[in-house]
Amino acid sequence: VTDSPRSDLARTLADSLRLYVLTDRALARGRFEVDVARDAIAGGATAIQLRWKDGPLWEAMEIGRQLRTLCRQASVLFVVNDRVDLALALEADGVHLGEHDLPVREARRLVDDRMIIGFSPATLVEAVQAQRAGADYLGVGPIFATWTKHDAGVPVGTERIRDVTRSVGVPVVGIGGITAGNAGAVIEAGAAGVAVISAVVARDDVVAATRELRQAVDHARSTAAG
Amino acid sequence: MRPVPRLHLISDRRRCPPERFPEVARDAVEAGVDAVHVRERDLSARDLLDFSGAVRLAIGDRALLFVNDRLDVALLSGADGVQLPETSFSPVDARALGDNRLMIGRSVHDIAGAKVASASGAHLLVAGHVYATESKAGEVARGLEFLREICRAVDIPVIAIGGITPERVAEVLAVGAHGVAVISGILSAADPGEAARAYRATLSNVIE
Repeated sequence: VTDSPRSDLARTLADSLRLYVLTDRALARGRFEVDVARDAIAGGATAIQLRWKDGPLWEAMEIGRQLRTLCRQASVLFVVNDRVDLALALEADGVHLGEHDLPVREARRLVDDRMIIGFSPATLVEAVQAQRAGADYLGVGPIFATWTKHDAGVPVGTERIRDVTRSVGVPVVGIGGITAGNAGAVIEAGAAGVAVISAVVARDDVVAATRELRQAVDHARSTAAG
Repeated sequence: MRPVPRLHLISDRRRCPPERFPEVARDAVEAGVDAVHVRERDLSARDLLDFSGAVRLAIGDRALLFVNDRLDVALLSGADGVQLPETSFSPVDARALGDNRLMIGRSVHDIAGAKVASASGAHLLVAGHVYATESKAGEVARGLEFLREICRAVDIPVIAIGGITPERVAEVLAVGAHGVAVISGILSAADPGEAARAYRATLSNVIE
């Protein structure tokens, strides 16, 4: 029996999601996604997500191919935001979907077991439905107040992590306003990891910023395990 | 793969709302349109999938369905093809993604783009805009000579777009175009079915 990429990735997903860095060109202060990702990986990022909001798709393909190579070399999870076709074309490990993107069930039809699917549920009900529809992990937030995503909504707090992890069997990642100072609380609430944007990509020293976050996550995980 | 269609209707919800478009498309197909393109850049992927599905349902397999840019939506909605803007996937990537089941159209605006698209596996080109049109207000029309050069430069079918009326179909085909793509000429007509019939009539006249 040959396992599918999805089942291989799902087995170690909780570890791959420990420190999940999302790209954002506008916040990266002139630095390219690939350079930021390289530094983030050097600092201990375990997953990289290509977020492509504006700009031509051919450029997303070029940058995505470089990220794909970088992540493969470092055994880091590579996820593409929003577009399933882009994720497939880049042979990404996963695709991350929100409420306006293709429904999880439809995306699953398309990718079959070639990749994992992440979803950002707005409610507990959506979280349960997404898992049933084939989501392999969930992104929950905004945990804390954030200025990165203007439409992110009112912070839901670490309590939401607790509620979601009680209701679903897939790993949960907290997102929104997470720093090295508060990452521990997110893990203690049951999250497998934390997802960050500005706390890494907007920082002067991306390597150091990532390392601090990773230490906070690892510390909270070892405490939780012990 | 089916033959490349000659009369393409392109959606535009500023001219025809998504609720009404499937019905208009069905009438247009009955009147001779043989390809319908879903092109709604500001719809969410979820809404685009619903919309494409509704158009597919309305036109059945009596015309080919193309989805603009979104290969994932094209595959999920049972479309026959994808129409790639120049900023989108390359035809090579699109062929691989579409498992060679999708007809690949590429929108081009110059000779160089047309040659690249043709060499990289596009099945058809949509070239324009040929005449001044309110859809592209403020942009200079590229004209018939531009179209002639594109048709000479490639050996795949070229579909002309931009301000094409039934009266202009003959001259467009005369410079080498395989067919025409229409937006407002059909969607803004008092009777879209009647308008589609006029395009088809002149196309048939010239071809036969």
